Formats: sequence, C-alpha cells, structure tokens
Amino acid sequence: MSAAAQIGDLSFFHPGASLPALDHVSLMVPAGESTALLGPSGAGKTTLLALLDGRLRGWRGRVSVLGAPLDPDHPPARASRPDVGFIFQEFALVERSSVLRNVLNGRLGRMSPLRAVVGSPAPRDLEAARAAIADCGIADLAERRVDSLSGGQRQRVAIARCLAQEPRLILADEPVSNLDPARAVEILTLLTGAAHARGATVLFSSHQPDLARRFADRIVGMRDGRIAFDVAAGDLSDVATADLYRETEALPGIGLRAMT
Amino acid sequence: MRSRGFGGFAAGALVAGAVLWSFATTDVELSRLLSAGPRIADFVGRMVPPDPTVMNEIVKGSAETLRIAILGSLGAVLLSVPLGILASETMVSPPIYRPVRTLLAFIRAIPLILVAMLMVGAVGLGPLPGIIAIAFHATGMLAKFYAEAIDGVTRAPIAALESAGAGPLARLRYAIWPQMAPVVARDTIFRFELNLRESLILGIVGAGGIGFYIQTYVRSFQYDKAASVTLAVIGLVVAIEAINITLQRRFC
Ligand SMILES: Nc1ncnc2c1ncn2[C@@H]1O[C@H](COP(=O)(O)OP(=O)(O)OP(=O)(O)O)[C@@H](O)[C@H]1O
Ligand SMILES: [Mg+2]
Repeated sequence: MSAAAQIGDLSFFHPGASLPALDHVSLMVPAGESTALLGPSGAGKTTLLALLDGRLRGWRGRVSVLGAPLDPDHPPARASRPDVGFIFQEFALVERSSVLRNVLNGRLGRMSPLRAVVGSPAPRDLEAARAAIADCGIADLAERRVDSLSGGQRQRVAIARCLAQEPRLILADEPVSNLDPARAVEILTLLTGAAHARGATVLFSSHQPDLARRFADRIVGMRDGRIAFDVAAGDLSDVATADLYRETEALPGIGLRAMT
Repeated sequence: MRSRGFGGFAAGALVAGAVLWSFATTDVELSRLLSAGPRIADFVGRMVPPDPTVMNEIVKGSAETLRIAILGSLGAVLLSVPLGILASETMVSPPIYRPVRTLLAFIRAIPLILVAMLMVGAVGLGPLPGIIAIAFHATGMLAKFYAEAIDGVTRAPIAALESAGAGPLARLRYAIWPQMAPVVARDTIFRFELNLRESLILGIVGAGGIGFYIQTYVRSFQYDKAASVTLAVIGLVVAIEAINITLQRRFC
C-alpha cells in the first residue's frame, strides 16, 4: 500500500505558543483512500492539514507528501502545489467574485503564468471548472456572486474550486461543520465520491465520529497535538471515541490556568 | 462624578478665558461695527440685481474649474497608487510605511489655498498651479485611503489561491483587487467631489478657474458681476452635492 503522505516524529509550535500544536506525530495516509482526522477543538487538526499543504514553517520531523519531502524552512515549489488541494474551514472564497470565477481560481496554478494573469482560461481550464461545478450540483449558480449564497452553497463552491484544481491529495478542513446533518451527509457523499471517481486521496477533519465512520476508510484520533489512535473505520470503538472527547481533567491549578 | 464636575468647570473656564483674551487683544470697536450697517447695505445694494451679462465668463470659468479638478484628481490618483502601496502594512515593512504615512499626514496638514499660492509663485498665474496644488493636496488623503483599502483585504482567499499554486500577480488580480476595487472607486469619487468643490475658490489666489472672476470683479468694484459669479458658485456647489447624493443612493 503506497502512501499519499508520510509523517515521522513531527512536532510544531505556533509562533509564540508555549505548548506544541503537534507533538511527535507519526502517521501514514494511504493513497487512494479516504482518511478522517477526528478530534476535539484545539486537537491540532487544522495545524496538521495546513502543514501538509506546505503552509507552515519551522516544524521538526520528516514529512513527505505525494512522494516528495517537504522542507520545514521553505514553501514547496509552486509547480507542485496544484497536486495538493485544500478545502478551508471558513471557505476562503472571494466574496465579490462569481461562483465560476472562484472555481476558475482553483485552476490558476495549472495555467501558464501569462494566461493566469491575463485572465483567459484555456478550454481545458473552463472544462475542468464546469465539470467540478456540475459535480457539486451548483451549475445554476455559476454566474451568481458568492456573497449572495448560503453556507451550504458556499461549501459546494469551495469543494468545486478544489476539484477543478485536479489535486491528487485533497485536504479538507471540517468540510461539513457549518451544515445541518442532512446537508453534511450530502456534502461528504459528494466529496468522497468525486475524489474516488478521480482517484484522489482524501484526508478530512471532523468533530463527528458517526460521519467519520460512514465516509472514511481509516480514522485517526487526535487530541492535544498527539495521535490517540489510528484504526480502520470498522474498528472504531465507542470507548476510544468517548476517551478522545473526554473533558479536560480538572486538576488543581490547570483548570484555573485554562480560564485565564 | 466629582472629578467630572471639576472637569466641566475647568473646560468652561478655559473657553471663557480664551474668549476674553481674544476680545481684549483684538481691535474690536463696536462703533465700527455699528457704522458698518449702512455700508453693508450699500454693498449688497450694488450687488442686486446681479449682472447677467457675465454668463460667458461663468461658463468659461466653470469649465476651467472642472478641467482643473479632473486633471488635479488624475495627478492625485497617479501619485496615490505608489504612495498608497508604500503606506500599507500588507505590502511593505514598518521602516517604509511609517515615514510615508508621516509624510502624507504632513501633506494633509497644509491648506490647499497655501499650496496654490506657492504654486502661483512658482509657475505663474493660470490653471497649471491650480492643477498642481489639487494633485499635491489631494494625495495626502487619497494615498491614505488607498493604503487602508489594501490593508482591509481579507487574507484567507489570498492564502487559498497561493495554496492552489497561483503566482503573486494572479493573486493580486483575483484575490486582492476584487476586494479592493469598490473601496478604491468610492474613495476616488469622494475625493474628486472634494477637489471640484475646493477648486472653485482657487482662482482667488490666481490659480485659475471660476474664482478668478470673483477676485477680478471685486478688485474693480463691479459688485453686481461679482455677485452673479458668486451665485453661480453657490449653484455649482449645490449641484455637486445633489449629484453626490444621487451617486450614493446608487452605490451604497
Ligand atoms: N495561529 C496560531 N497561533 C497560535 N496558536 C495557534 C494558532 N493556530 C492554532 N493555534 C493553537 O494550536 C492548537 C491547535 O489548533 P488547531 O486549529 O490546529 O485545532 P483544531 O483541531 O483544528 O481545532 P478546531 O476543531 O477548533 O478547528 C490550539 O491550541 C490552538 O489554540
Ligand atoms: Mg480547525
């Protein structure tokens, strides 16, 4: 089984933080599968995903993504960035631009630099954008401005932008945390289905164990920057889940410190 | 409560002191104020009826004022683009934007009429000193607005395009500019309106435009003509205000 991402003994402190956001993390993300990162708020899910996207500097350890090692001190080469797609927790769309323009923005890394700046997408780019928009069920919204859309519609635009990029690894940061349960199932069906059809690997973070069980092949539990468990989706026990989400122990002093 | 009462008393005493000081040290003779009544009546009397024969001068002067405002605004925009970038936190580091911002504050502090007088001295009478003065004076405000427009842009979409492999120019065009454009348009229109309004009086110091005729007619005691031009200026200010209100309804 080949790896889409391989992480060895990875530690990271956010600038100015005294506790590590990632604490000696080792993990293998199998290629072609769907993996869920499960964990409570502050576990380090966003941090780990951003790091795999090549956006964080100053970490320690060994990380390779799609077979190429990441450099802790330099951003990855621009040419390699379209291969890793990212779906942001808060969407990160350009509010005043149309849905189609936002989805085409996902193609910018695949266009020649001149084409990207002049703003004339090739037929190939338009085709990829239209296909992604159709797959996400927002064809009738293509000309609408993003600031006129609902949360669920924005989520679809964010996914379409990522799919148009044609990434081999999709990192999705809580792609359904802003949606009601029915919409959440719809979106995850869409995301994992589209990724599977394109042969892409998915690593998505979530707060919800039932969704992780249903849509992931593997489930990785995270807490306090550490890996708590790494199991096949069918093997996730309620005990392990409950332990992952247990309340912080009210040790004398620690509770107080957390409050200040 | 006590300290507030004391603060109010102190402020009152300060204002009273300032007024008394001004009266005591300025030559305000009540007799002159009283005898001025008939003279003002005479002055106003000579202003009515306004002389409509100056219509030509009014049209010519207004057109020149409009040209001064347009070219002065264009100059201000050209100066404000680089200075705005140099004054923005997102584009440059503190050693650059701090002195640039200080420079802009300094420019804003110099009254337009003073700049215009200096420019008349430097390049002679006519619309050119007016254009230069407007461009210089307006840049102090417009460059600051542009810098704020750049700094007000949300970072997340820029990071998203970078993650997708977009280069810096593509990010500028598709993530930064769409967010900035409406602010830049609004601020530029706002500043143009101010420029138009302020350039109406530039002629008084010889820097071109309709104000030049007011000064000429007052100097040659043709008060009826001066009155006509002044009425025209008031009309123009009202018209600018009306256009502005309509535009604001349209855009905001
Ligand atoms: N920019 C930052 N600067 C300093 N500390 C940060 C920063 N971003 C995150 N952290 C800290 O790093 C830890 C991990 O945060 P992270 O955002 O990765 O958690 P998460 O699992 O994504 O949480 P959530 O489910 O709430 O999104 C937290 O303690 C958080 O406070
Ligand atoms: Mg997060």
